[in-house]
Amino acid sequence: MMASLDQPVALSTRGLVAGYERDLPIVRGVDFAVRTGELVVVLGPNGAGKSTFVKAIAGLVPIHSGAASLGANDITTVPAHQKIRHGLAFVPQTENIFATLSINDNLLLAANILPKEKRSRRVGDLYAMFPDLAARPSLRAGQLSGGQRQMLAVARALIVEPSVLILDEPSAGLSPKIVAEVFAKLKAINATGVTIILVEQNVKAALAIADRAVILVEGVVRHEGPAATLADDPVVAELYLGVRQKAPAA
Amino acid sequence: MNPQALMDGLITGAMIGLGAIGVTLTYSILRFANFAHGEFLSWGAYFALAVASALGAMSSALLAPIGPFSFGWALPIAAVVAVVLTGGLALLVDALLFGRLRDRKSTVIIMVMASFGAALTLRSLLEFIATSKPAYYTQALQIALPLGGGLRATPDQLLSLAVSAVLVVAVHQLLTRTAIGRSMRAVSENPQLAGVVGIEVRHVIRVVWLLGAALACVAGISAGLLVQIRPQMGLDLLLPLFAAAILGGIGSVPGAMLAGLIVGLAEAFAVQLIGAEWRAAIAFAILVLVLLLRPQGLFGRPE
Amino acid sequence: MSVELVGYACFFLTMALTYAIMCLGLNVQWGQTGLFNVGVAGFVAIGAYVSALLTTPDAANRLGGFDLPMPLGWLGGALAAGFVSFLVGALTIRLRADYLAIATFGVAVTVQLIALNAEPVTGGPFGIGFIPRPFASLAGDPLLFNLLNLAVLGVVVILLYLALERLVRSPWGRVLRAIREDEQAARALGKNATKFRLQAFAIGGGIMGLAGAAQAHFIGFIAPDNYMPMLTFQVWAMLIVGGSGNNRGAILGAVLVWAIWAGSAGLVADLFPAGQQARAASLQIVMIGVALCAILLLRPRGILGEERVVSRHLGKFVRTRPIAASESSKHANS
Repeated sequence: MMASLDQPVALSTRGLVAGYERDLPIVRGVDFAVRTGELVVVLGPNGAGKSTFVKAIAGLVPIHSGAASLGANDITTVPAHQKIRHGLAFVPQTENIFATLSINDNLLLAANILPKEKRSRRVGDLYAMFPDLAARPSLRAGQLSGGQRQMLAVARALIVEPSVLILDEPSAGLSPKIVAEVFAKLKAINATGVTIILVEQNVKAALAIADRAVILVEGVVRHEGPAATLADDPVVAELYLGVRQKAPAA
Repeated sequence: MNPQALMDGLITGAMIGLGAIGVTLTYSILRFANFAHGEFLSWGAYFALAVASALGAMSSALLAPIGPFSFGWALPIAAVVAVVLTGGLALLVDALLFGRLRDRKSTVIIMVMASFGAALTLRSLLEFIATSKPAYYTQALQIALPLGGGLRATPDQLLSLAVSAVLVVAVHQLLTRTAIGRSMRAVSENPQLAGVVGIEVRHVIRVVWLLGAALACVAGISAGLLVQIRPQMGLDLLLPLFAAAILGGIGSVPGAMLAGLIVGLAEAFAVQLIGAEWRAAIAFAILVLVLLLRPQGLFGRPE
Repeated sequence: MSVELVGYACFFLTMALTYAIMCLGLNVQWGQTGLFNVGVAGFVAIGAYVSALLTTPDAANRLGGFDLPMPLGWLGGALAAGFVSFLVGALTIRLRADYLAIATFGVAVTVQLIALNAEPVTGGPFGIGFIPRPFASLAGDPLLFNLLNLAVLGVVVILLYLALERLVRSPWGRVLRAIREDEQAARALGKNATKFRLQAFAIGGGIMGLAGAAQAHFIGFIAPDNYMPMLTFQVWAMLIVGGSGNNRGAILGAVLVWAIWAGSAGLVADLFPAGQQARAASLQIVMIGVALCAILLLRPRGILGEERVVSRHLGKFVRTRPIAASESSKHANS
């Protein structure tokens, strides 16, 4: 769904500097904004800081300076376990479900921060959205296939009806067919109004579902634009492959 | 082979299992071997002794034995208070020591070293306050009742078994069916993901300390009732507790109880063969075997 | 009066030096190799008992009568402890740190249990007495006697220190340091980490046995009660205070903590009447336990800190603490 420019900003960062160690920032000042209902993909070569960027927003990597806001609320200093209560759901790349818990327990766990009356209803809603998970709810999550785990991770994130959903390389380790399924699901979720930020290495599949793309190189935003046209933009090739095609863009 | 060893083994094993459940929970969620866990047993036993004595001093009716048991109402009431006090002690030690080291992302080795130091401090403090002289909850003697098959047990011993059984079921239900139990299992598997999902890990850690200390307290009171109360009692049980927790598989509550029973029975039967003075070596032998052959224990996850 | 004081100072310092030897041994295991041995007391006990058994005259109801000269006793003690360390290590060295701690703790408990119960061999709870003391013939002159004992131990410590410093800087020592810092890289270079660790563990254990033997001959009498977990705690406290990873720190820590221990024992004993001395001892240990926890909280690297021998050449790229596995995977992707 194309978000029009008069939609409010769902999440933004201003001059975000972040990294695991104080003297080694990986994210070096990123200005970023995504509007409500948009599906934005964050691209960039290896080591660009894409993962670190979203982890910093999620509170898993220390922010050195700059700010992050969710809607009108400044969430820069909000601790990781409170982010979800503000409506920000994060799906990490690896170890994103509890393998030793059942599917049902994984979902119930996430529903815990909801008021009691809403919990079982939301879990039911999600089973409806993800029928594969509903088939065997007491199965240990560790026994799911890669694609099913990703679905469970996304389902878990959606339980609290987040305003913004961030995913870190959901296609990693999945076959193209499964990637297509997962991405179709994400597109459908986006269509219901959930703002999605996607960090991805799989440029082609990501651009196919995104509204807009932002390219990070060495910790800063080097390019952004509508997804539809970015695939053919020579600047993208240059940023990824270091191939000079014309006079370099600023 | 004296069949009574079976009974003795079960009774001791149930006590060890109860303590081991506390060890396995704190070990799996806090991720370090807490050498001070035995001291929660000792302190629990002494807290109960102090409160029971105080209650007894206030009203001697509370000391009159209840039914077939050797103790009066003073002890169960004291036990409840002792559980709260021991939980408080655990939270205090965490707030002063372990929590701070954890915040500083200290290595496992520093944590274990600190727990060793805390254990020594707590034990010596107990020795200072109460002296090393053995103490008892009651002077009433108990007669072992025949149970058939050549087995005998006192009512106190049977109560201890029953309490252990009830507690292990209760804790298992807590872990599998309640929200806090799910949170504990989640933190045990992946504390960072637990935070992302919205679990407040600090809160879960506090609950784990309380639960572990409470179980240790009950085990300590049990040991104090059936044997005697000494400041060294926790240290004496530490190796069997670790052996049982590891044999059962760190993180598994039924595993810890089952392993506790195995350790208790092994001790009881081995003592018949090689003499009571070698009892402490049995747990060590079991521990070494487990670590060599199957370090994840009976029900644990392979590393 | 001053002769007595000097005599006491010698006695104190000699005891401190026996602990220094234990710390040097632990430093090989922990400081150099990163092995978490919580059973120090057991290896010390082995050295003490073996040396005592080899050198004492015949005794009525236990093994004995070998009557060997003292140096052989000390050597025997060290070798026995080293050998048992090797066996224990062979079984446990691959275990992760906390399991190794529990296992070595169990070893010490078992050794003490054997010392307590195997009466025909170890004399049981009564221990072994009449252990020959160095320069025993001079016992009539306490000052000279104490000074000579101190000298013997001083020489042993100095020689040991020099030998260990050489070892740290040797190719063997560098491999050990590499294994401790980054095992994967070391293995990639073809170094068998387990073999090196085992050697370090055995050497460290042997040194602890030597300390036990020295202590036994210095005091003249040993009993199972001397080798409780408290001893392990003392040695660890000494190493941590002095600065783990550092041989000089090991010696300094031993002398300092022993001074504090003996000093506080005297202080606390004075506060309590004669009949309450056991309680005084308990209070003293409480204070020391609290002090150790405080050091772990405030300055875990100890007084002299960790010595960086190899890292001088590597500059800023050496970490002071290994990254936990979960952290390193975080760093893997951008």
